[in-house]
Amino acid sequence: MNRARSIPVLLGALLLAIGTALAGEGGSALKADDLKAEPFRDAKTVGSLAAGDHIEILDRQGGWFRVKSAAGSGWVRMLSIRRGEARKGGSDAAELAGLASGRAGTGRVVATTGIRGLSEEELTAARYNEAELKKAQSYATTRAQAQQFAASGKLAARKVEYLPTPGSAK
Amino acid sequence: MARTITTAILPSVLLLCVGGAAHALDLGQELKKAFEQSTQTTPEPGRPPSSAGGGIDLGGMRGLFGFSAEEEVAIGRQAAGNLLGAAPLVKDAKLQKYVNNVGRWIASQSERPDLDWHFGVIDTNDINAFAAPGGYVFVTKGLYRVLQNESELAGVLAHEVGHVIERHHLKILQQSQLVDMGTKVLATTAGENQAIKNLIGNGAEIFARSLDKNAEYEADRIAVILAARGGYDPFGLPTVLQDIGHAAKDDSSVRLLFKTHPHPDDRLTHLGDAVGDRLDQLKGQTLEKRFYRIKP
Repeated sequence: MNRARSIPVLLGALLLAIGTALAGEGGSALKADDLKAEPFRDAKTVGSLAAGDHIEILDRQGGWFRVKSAAGSGWVRMLSIRRGEARKGGSDAAELAGLASGRAGTGRVVATTGIRGLSEEELTAARYNEAELKKAQSYATTRAQAQQFAASGKLAARKVEYLPTPGSAK
Repeated sequence: MARTITTAILPSVLLLCVGGAAHALDLGQELKKAFEQSTQTTPEPGRPPSSAGGGIDLGGMRGLFGFSAEEEVAIGRQAAGNLLGAAPLVKDAKLQKYVNNVGRWIASQSERPDLDWHFGVIDTNDINAFAAPGGYVFVTKGLYRVLQNESELAGVLAHEVGHVIERHHLKILQQSQLVDMGTKVLATTAGENQAIKNLIGNGAEIFARSLDKNAEYEADRIAVILAARGGYDPFGLPTVLQDIGHAAKDDSSVRLLFKTHPHPDDRLTHLGDAVGDRLDQLKGQTLEKRFYRIKP
């Protein structure tokens, strides 16, 4: 009895660990970027990554990953990194293996071949569903309710400027 | 700042195109008449109907190539109803309410906080999210299952909110209207559905069309900022992009998403160029504990 109970618990703990910890997950640099000693811009540069360099992700803090690479260890901006195997033109053996096991990369994206999807054809053939639309409308939240919801999660609104369009004068 | 400038330029460019063809004006007015006859909605008192030009008041000109707020909502309602015909809502009231709370909080950080925003999770294993004009936003169950915390959901919804506030779909509709103007004739007696149907095409095919690549990059840039404004970790959306980035292109669950959007790698790269060190000081909440987990 005890053992039967502890297995699901253990499995749950294991799944949780996989979901939250990045430790050891592979990836590669999307573009050339610096490796920093600390996760901020002014930190000392301890190395550099070239586009395509393989890395191992050890940790994350804000917009930074702590990574291990052939160029050494350090912090790099997460937006310069792709997680998982390098992008391929078509499907290679590794990807096929991932699909066959129902997992791709980290296993967070599950292949659903054969299960009902939402293709272009299905969208085009769709018929207006008034009852579902009414239902969708019934779940609407007011601005004031959303404010309350945010407060209960200790979410505080703050002023942040929009980002400039890259390549524009600004 | 740069964004206000570009949206101001866009309508004038459109106006220039329309100006060259006299019958384009007629079509716009036909469409407007069709809407006026069929929709009995009265504008909100004290609030002028907004234009499709990013909040810039174009006065009497807006009916020629833009859509009024009522038209926008009517188009969105029809498109949303059609999408729900393809995939109904997941039967989980708590989930739907939760997604509306997160979505409305994000939308409240935008320039259009008072639209009638509606959010929902639709029952399909496809990995995708959709926005329709007027404030309808849907995430698929397949995508929801990829999410690990509330900031990731906020980021995904914020991308769609970005499409709505920038009226990206309406801009596409306006373009197709200009292209089709020679063949498409709207009868003044056409009902609401017919007028919109002529505009948005069959069923929910509007959701299978691609927006301009730059519209996607723009929605990504808006998304991280709206999430940050709402107090969330701004890197929720990038995390999701990294998660779906290594799904195989021929995996059927991401086929439509990959067909209609730039590859996640390209989206991350573009976003990285725009973000630089701007978000370095911004920490935020991920709310992993509060995140509503979907029943298997």
